[in-house]
Amino acid sequence: MITDNIIITGLGVISAAGNNLPETLDSFSRGKRNAGKVSLFDTSLSYPVFEVKTFPEKNYPEGQRTLRLALIAVDEALKDAQLEDELSEYRVGVCLGTTVASQLNDLDFYKSYRDHGSASMVPVDRYLKGNLAEFVSRKIKSKGPSLTVVNACSSGTDAIGVALSWLNNGLCDIAIAGGADELNRVPFCGFGSLGIVSPDLCAPFDRDRRGLNLGEGAGVMLIETKGSAEKRGAASDLYLSGYGSASDSYHLTAPRPDGAGLEAAIHKALAYSGIRPQEINFVNAHGTATPDNDVVEGRALHRIFGPGVKILSTKGYTGHTLGAAGGIEAVFTCAALRDGWIPASIGFANKDENIPVVPVMEKTTINGCCALSTSLAFGGNNAALIFGRRLKA
Amino acid sequence: MQKNNGQELAEIKKTLKNLLIKDLSLEDITPDDIRDDDALFGEGLGLDSLDAVEIVVILQRNFGLEVKDLENRKDVFYSIDTLAKYVLENKKNGS
Amino acid sequence: MNILGMGVISACGRGVDYFEKALNEGWKKPSEIEVPHLKNRKSPVYQVDLKDVSEKNLFKKMRRSDKLSKMAVVAASEAFRNSGLENMDKRTVGIIVATAFGAHVTTFNLLDDILDHGEAEVSPTVFSNSVHNAVASYISSALGIRGPSLTVTQFYFSFHYALQLSRLWLDEERCDYVLVGVAEQYGEVLRYIYDTKLTMAGDGIIRPFNFKPTYQIPGEGAAFFLVSKRNSDNVLCKFENILIGGGAEGPGPVDLDIIDTDGILADESVYERSLSKDVPVAAYSPVFGSVMTGSAFNCAAGMLMLKNQIRYGNPVKDNPHGLNILNDTRNGPVELIRCIRYNCYGSNAVIYLRKKSLAND
Repeated sequence: MITDNIIITGLGVISAAGNNLPETLDSFSRGKRNAGKVSLFDTSLSYPVFEVKTFPEKNYPEGQRTLRLALIAVDEALKDAQLEDELSEYRVGVCLGTTVASQLNDLDFYKSYRDHGSASMVPVDRYLKGNLAEFVSRKIKSKGPSLTVVNACSSGTDAIGVALSWLNNGLCDIAIAGGADELNRVPFCGFGSLGIVSPDLCAPFDRDRRGLNLGEGAGVMLIETKGSAEKRGAASDLYLSGYGSASDSYHLTAPRPDGAGLEAAIHKALAYSGIRPQEINFVNAHGTATPDNDVVEGRALHRIFGPGVKILSTKGYTGHTLGAAGGIEAVFTCAALRDGWIPASIGFANKDENIPVVPVMEKTTINGCCALSTSLAFGGNNAALIFGRRLKA
Repeated sequence: MQKNNGQELAEIKKTLKNLLIKDLSLEDITPDDIRDDDALFGEGLGLDSLDAVEIVVILQRNFGLEVKDLENRKDVFYSIDTLAKYVLENKKNGS
Repeated sequence: MNILGMGVISACGRGVDYFEKALNEGWKKPSEIEVPHLKNRKSPVYQVDLKDVSEKNLFKKMRRSDKLSKMAVVAASEAFRNSGLENMDKRTVGIIVATAFGAHVTTFNLLDDILDHGEAEVSPTVFSNSVHNAVASYISSALGIRGPSLTVTQFYFSFHYALQLSRLWLDEERCDYVLVGVAEQYGEVLRYIYDTKLTMAGDGIIRPFNFKPTYQIPGEGAAFFLVSKRNSDNVLCKFENILIGGGAEGPGPVDLDIIDTDGILADESVYERSLSKDVPVAAYSPVFGSVMTGSAFNCAAGMLMLKNQIRYGNPVKDNPHGLNILNDTRNGPVELIRCIRYNCYGSNAVIYLRKKSLAND
C-alpha cells in the first residue's frame, strides 16, 4: 500500500545553482558549479563557497539574508501551486528548518556590547522578529501552526517530516515546509576549525574528497492534503509518502561508524510509506564530501538498497547549505521524479574502495515512481524522506 | 645545545599537558596522570576526533603552528612525546 | 497522553523534590550578580547552582558540554528516574527539545574566539556546543536514546508545539515514549537585552498579577517530561489537550488557571481578559524567574498539584486588579488545570492538564 494522500503542489528553490527551479535544473543539466571566494563578508579564510549572487528584484526584509532566501523560495512554491501570497482563507502550517536564523550571532552587536557595555538593539529586534517560521507565517497571514526546526544539517528534512505529521493529523490542510540558511561567518569559521571544509571544490563520494564546501539557499515545498487540493481545483502527481528519523546516541560531531541510526531512519520512512527498498528508484544522498559522512552513508545505502541503487549528491552544485539542505534536496528529488532525470553527481571521479556504491556520473533517466532523500546531521540526527509520483493510468 | 633542547622539550610537554587538560575539559586529570608515551587517542587517554581538531587549534594559538592534512599526521598526534617533538622541531624550522 | 515522569532543574534546585519544596515555601529572594552594563549595581537573577550540574556519572560522555546542555541532561535524566522506567528499549524513545534562545552563551563565546584569536583559530568544541541541537545530542548520548530527535525554536510557543508534536509522534507510532522539554540559560548579553527592552524587578519580586507595568528577573533551567500513551503506576497526570492560536473549545470547566506572566511582555493585560472570577488563578514565575519557555515550569507545577491533590498558593500575592488568586497552599480536589500563555501578537496557547484516571488511557 502506498500512501499518496499528502500531495506536493508547489516547489521553490534558490541556491548558487539558480534563483528558481528552472534555472537550477539548467545548471544541473550543464554541470555548472557556481562557486568562488566569499564576497558576503571580509574574511581571512580562503575556502571556496557557493553564494547566491543576485536576488530577484522585490522588496524583501533588509539585513536578514536567511529570511530573504526563504521568502524567495516560498514565493516560487506558492506561484507554482497557484496560490496567492496571502493565505488567510486556508489553514496553512509553516515548518522551516534553519541554523543561522535561530541564533543571535551578530558580530558588530556583540563587539559593541563587549567593548562599550552597550549596543544597538536593531540586530536584536531583527532577531526577535525574525524567527523563520513565525515570520513567514505572519507574512502570509496563516492561521495554522508555525514552527522552526533547528536540527542542524537535517533541519530541512525534519521540517518536512513535521509538516507531514501535521497534515496527516488534521492540524492544517496546507503546509509550507523546507529550510533556509545564509552563508554566515560563524559556521564558516566553525566548520573550518572542525577541519571538514575542502580547500577545493567538493567531491562527494570520491576517493580523494577533502571535505565540504559551504553554500546558502532555501528549498520550500507546498504540501497539502488531496482533499484541500481538490477543493481549490489544484492537482499534482507528486506526493510525500514517508518520513523517518533516528538518533545515533554516539557523538556530538562524528556520525556513528556503523550507520545504524541512518539505517533506522530509512527503514522507518520505508515502513511509514508502506514500500519495499526495491521500489526506491534513486537516492538524493546527503553526500557532503567529508571523509566520514560519505563512507557511513554509502555503506548504509548499500546495505539497504544493494550495489545497483542510483545515488547522487547535489552538494557539488549547491555546496552544503546546512539547515536549507534538506529542503533544497527534497525539491530536487521531486523535480527529478516529475521530469524523469537526475543530474550527474558532480565532483565524483574515482571510486573509493571503502564505499561500496558509486554515484551516477552523467545525467540519467529515471522511470520509477519513488525516491529517497537523506540527511545526516551534526549531533547524530538522521532523517529520511520518501517522495512518489503517481503514474498516469 | 643538546641539554637546552632537552629542557625545552620538557617545558613544551608540561605546557601541552596543561593546555590539553584545560582546553579539552579533561576533568579529574592532573598533568602527572598523563604519561609522555601514553596514546592520546583510543585506549590511552581516550581522546576522539573532536579533541584532535581542538589540539590543532591549541597548536595554532599557543605555538603558531599550522597543522594541515590531519588524517596523515597521526604519527604526530600519537602521544605527548610525539606532539612535543613536532612542536620543538617546527618552532625551530619556523623561526 | 500520560505524563510518566518529570525532571526539573532551576534556581529552586535539582529534581522534583526541590521544585515541590519551592512551591510550598513560596517566594525566595533571587541571587544577585554583578553585570558589566550596570556599573556599581548588582542585578537579580534566578540562576541554577553549578553544583547541581556536576554529576560525574551522568556527564561521563559530556565533559565538553556547556551549562545549557548539562542542565538539560540533568532534567531529562531526572524525568526518566522519576518515571521508574529507565530500562525500556531506548530505540522506542524520542526526544523533542524546545528552546527560545538556545546556546546563546556559547555562541557569544564563539564570537569571543573570532574577535580574540581570529577566524582560523576558533575552538571547534565551542562551535559544536553553540549549535541548537547540541542539547538533544548530549541527551541522546548520555541516556542512550536512539529514537527520533528534534530541536525546535519559537519565541513564545515552542514548548506547546513540541508537546503537540510529541502527541502526533505517539499517535503515528514513531515512538512509544517521548522525552519532551525545554532548556534556557541565563547570560550576560541576554540580561542586557532584557534590561534594555523591559523593566527589571529591582526589588527582586516578579509581580505576575500586575499586568502593566511588568517586572522581570531572568531565570534559567530545564524541564523535561516523559510522555506516552502507555500507562504506569507512576503516571503523574495527563496532557488532555493543547490548543494553539485560539478558536477551539476547551475540554470543560477547569479548577485552576495557571498563567505565564513573568514580565517578558511589557504589557500582560491580555491575560486578564482570559480569566474568570469563578476560577482561581496562579502564576509561579516568581520561583523560577522570567524564562521564554517558562510554560514548561508552570506546567510542572500544575502536574504536581494534580498528582498531590494540593493547590500551591501564589508565591507573590500582589493583586491590584482584585483577581481570584490562590492565596494559600491547601489540600483540595484538582481535576483539570488550564495553563495559559500569550505571545507578543496577542495570540494564545493553552495546555490542559487532567488528573490521571484509574482506567487505562
